[in-house]
Amino acid sequence: MEYEFQFHYILQAWPVLMEGLKVTVQLTVIANIIALTLGFVIALLVLSKYWLLRAPFALMIELFRCTPVLVQILWFFYCVPILFGIYLAPLPMGILALGINLACFNAEAYRAAIQAVPREQLDAGVALGFSPLQRVRYVVFPHAFRAALPVLITNGITLFQQSALVAIVALSDLMYMGRQVATQSYRPIETYTAVALIYFAISFPVSRVAAWVEQRLDAARA
Amino acid sequence: MTIDFSFLARYQDALLMGLGMTLRLTLIAFALGIVWGFVLALLRNSSIAPVRWIAAVYVEFFRGTPVLIQIFWIFYCMPIFLGTDLSNFTAAVLCLTLYGGAIMSETFRAGMKSIGREQYDACHALGLSPWTRATRIVLPQATLRSVPVLLSNGIGIFKESSLVSAIGMMELMFIGTTISNRTGRPVEVFTAVALIYFVVAFPLTRLVTWLEKRILKRFAI
Repeated sequence: MEYEFQFHYILQAWPVLMEGLKVTVQLTVIANIIALTLGFVIALLVLSKYWLLRAPFALMIELFRCTPVLVQILWFFYCVPILFGIYLAPLPMGILALGINLACFNAEAYRAAIQAVPREQLDAGVALGFSPLQRVRYVVFPHAFRAALPVLITNGITLFQQSALVAIVALSDLMYMGRQVATQSYRPIETYTAVALIYFAISFPVSRVAAWVEQRLDAARA
Repeated sequence: MTIDFSFLARYQDALLMGLGMTLRLTLIAFALGIVWGFVLALLRNSSIAPVRWIAAVYVEFFRGTPVLIQIFWIFYCMPIFLGTDLSNFTAAVLCLTLYGGAIMSETFRAGMKSIGREQYDACHALGLSPWTRATRIVLPQATLRSVPVLLSNGIGIFKESSLVSAIGMMELMFIGTTISNRTGRPVEVFTAVALIYFVVAFPLTRLVTWLEKRILKRFAI
């Protein structure tokens, strides 16, 4: 192999890559905030007594879970403006697409956790004269959030990785910037390796946190 | 603008061909990934520490980076190391297999962990050799318990396979994008493509749920 590694290209391109990383982090954090709240609401709706409330959201969850994220992103970028007349800048549109996708995955995590809330706790809520909203706020949510936390964190990391797909619709995130640098400098190995390492340096520690939280929860239950 | 799906009938063959390629990629990568994943799971339980570490780094790396960058890395960088060009089909299969192996090794590992301590004690008490223990006690149970999750991993590979359109592989996603660009009707095309993926993936997820229940009931795990 006659390839000479020249890592100084990476040093030159570093500010550009960091620019991209900023966009990636923005996408991930805001989409996660949306999904943590919206996911819980969807989970409650799916568990509703009324078929009319349940059905559309159950369908929505399945649609988002059973299609590739790439198709969803393209769909949001090309179809939402035409169908609904909503014109958003690329970044908010990316956040919307990823946020709704993640909300569906989080809803599944919340749903399992809500169903695991002990029956007596709800009865106690009724006995204390809580309104349904108060029961959700003070009894169901704290329980469900704690139980679902490891899965919610794992989903969040997955979204961080999936956010690389917005590069395909030319949103200038880390992946997109990496691709630009790789093509302009003709140094694909150095650039793509560096970009991969940046993604890894963020997602690996967070996945350790998820494992740690899970262990603590298991220990608390035992 | 009016929504009219009828023009898609003209592109039926192209879309079906794309789906065929997507399924082919998925099945090959799934089959190879199962083997690779099982080997990785064994390596991660190896008694030689460096082997364990290398396998762990490999798995964490493939799980901790976007699949898109893995595809670019394999398609653009691997040929420089190998000295020959990779066709986009080889690159796509290679990437999905390497990634699929990493996620499926975790599934096998969980399956192996779920085998109770007392079974190992029983093997010891019966005087079984480590090889007999691995092939007759651990392997059959670990595989059986892993089946539903492995199938979910397979659905994951099916969805991730859409990413190889980025290196010009003519699968469903790529053909969908091409039709959309040519006709200028993204709403119909992307909706249809999404539905095709859904029609394949959704029944499989039901099958996973059904299998999970059956295996739970039958083997009381």
